Amino acid sequence: MRKLLVVAAFFVLIAVALFLAPATSYGLDQYQCLACHSRPGLSKVNGNGTEISLYVDKKDFLNSSHQYIDCTTCHTGEPHNVPTPLTKLSLAEKCGTCHQYQYEQHLRSIHGEQLAKGNPDVATCVDCHSQTRNPHSVVRVLQTDAPAYPKNIAATCSKCHANEQLMGRYGIVEKVYESYMRSFHGKATQLASNELSQLNKATCVNCHGAHNIKAVADPGSPVAGMDNLAKTCEQCHAGAGVNYAAGFLGHKEATPERFPVVHWAERFFYLLTASVVTMGVVIVAMESGRWLADRRGKKNGGQGRNGHGD
Amino acid sequence: MATKVRVFPLFRAVPRKGVIKADHVVRFDVHQRIQHILMMSSFSLLALTGLPLKFYDNAVSQWWVALWGGVESTRAIHHFFAWVMVFDGVYHLVYLGYSTIILKRPFPVEMIPSPKDFFDLLADLRYYFGLSPERAKYGRFNYREKFDYFAVFWGIFIMAGSGFILMFPVLVSKLVPGWIIPTALVAHSDEAILAVSWIVIVHLFFAHLAPNIFPFNKSIFTGRVPRQRYQHEHPLEYEKMVAADRESRAKEEQDA
Repeated sequence: MRKLLVVAAFFVLIAVALFLAPATSYGLDQYQCLACHSRPGLSKVNGNGTEISLYVDKKDFLNSSHQYIDCTTCHTGEPHNVPTPLTKLSLAEKCGTCHQYQYEQHLRSIHGEQLAKGNPDVATCVDCHSQTRNPHSVVRVLQTDAPAYPKNIAATCSKCHANEQLMGRYGIVEKVYESYMRSFHGKATQLASNELSQLNKATCVNCHGAHNIKAVADPGSPVAGMDNLAKTCEQCHAGAGVNYAAGFLGHKEATPERFPVVHWAERFFYLLTASVVTMGVVIVAMESGRWLADRRGKKNGGQGRNGHGD
Repeated sequence: MATKVRVFPLFRAVPRKGVIKADHVVRFDVHQRIQHILMMSSFSLLALTGLPLKFYDNAVSQWWVALWGGVESTRAIHHFFAWVMVFDGVYHLVYLGYSTIILKRPFPVEMIPSPKDFFDLLADLRYYFGLSPERAKYGRFNYREKFDYFAVFWGIFIMAGSGFILMFPVLVSKLVPGWIIPTALVAHSDEAILAVSWIVIVHLFFAHLAPNIFPFNKSIFTGRVPRQRYQHEHPLEYEKMVAADRESRAKEEQDA
């Protein structure tokens, strides 16, 4: 009996110790970086004179796809002696040390080309793969909260591509997000549940490419010119040809010059619907009003009128 | 001794429409009643499966689509009832053709709009605004019923036409220019709202909420209307039917 008690006490002690033990980062943070870097407010002043945050949100990190690799995999050499400032390009390069294929595609894309020229406006890895543009919170594409998840990708692209000021600098005037969400592709994606079988409608990347995305005017783009566009449509719409692709409004509204039939059909049906429904409301209102007036009349002792709804 | 079995033909040689009975008038034959039921059910299901696509960013739509089994399932149901509605339209046209051409029944001219409808509307407007103690006296179909009929007639052509373009866009694009497809989308989407609004606001009022037939006018299902109501609602036709009935009774008595 005493032996049993001792053994039990031993286990209880272990349990208490585990319960009370301070939460450390998981084993892969072998240099205990997060002991300091998980402190909010940790920052330094870099070579440019700007204050940069050195804070890594542990909760975000432990939800990210990189939680199982050690800090020193990316922060190589002597991370406390790294020359700053770091740039978007250097960040992409670092991603590319493991994600080589995507990085090389990225360099060939319009985003990557501009990035290499030093343009800070373009999207790079973390802009699309992290909610906070932070490499420590990059999530896997098939996680439902990933910015690159099929149901979220359009909103992610629209972070820049629906910014009129930003897009105006590059001559991109189309309201791509609005027009996409109004199309069947956008609607069906929004109505879909999180089952993969329902997420098979086209999103931005299906037509425009993802890592190798090119400008629409670039002849290498999958949507440049009717032939390329038709081939892109055919990825899902078997047998679609150039005529089919010609029915695409191109993220733009129909105007009297471009797709005039569509434009006038929109006007016509809007007017028709508005006038017919108004007429209907008026008829019902008049019928109800007369009935109410008659009832009041009858209540006040007047003669019943020959009024019946039918 | 063999018992005689009465076979009820699909179409009666002598039209039952407008036949006066002791307490009711037969207004709709079995075909018309079936056509209405098919129309009612297909319209409702088409609206229920189509509206979430129109109002896609409403949270209720997402829940609703999930309820029907997801986007593909909702679409399949929508397509099924599209075929039902088209069948109903064809049924109606065949019924019209067969009745008039084969059975040689008189063509239903009462449904065709005429100047009287316009004057009836004016008379009703006077009645609504209290300038007249009585509303207009209608024939078999008043101007609202005629409007309803032709609105559906036109509506089916638009919805079915645009619907089939949207159902088979690749095929259609091989026969006509591609811009037909976005045009069909505009037509289908907007006409749907028109139709649903009309049915919900106008048709449901006159068929359900109108005080004298509340909770609903069952004559489209039974085919019969109580005589008194028929006299109130379609007095001109009622007079003609009573007169014709009297004549045929007198003839029967003569022949007897």
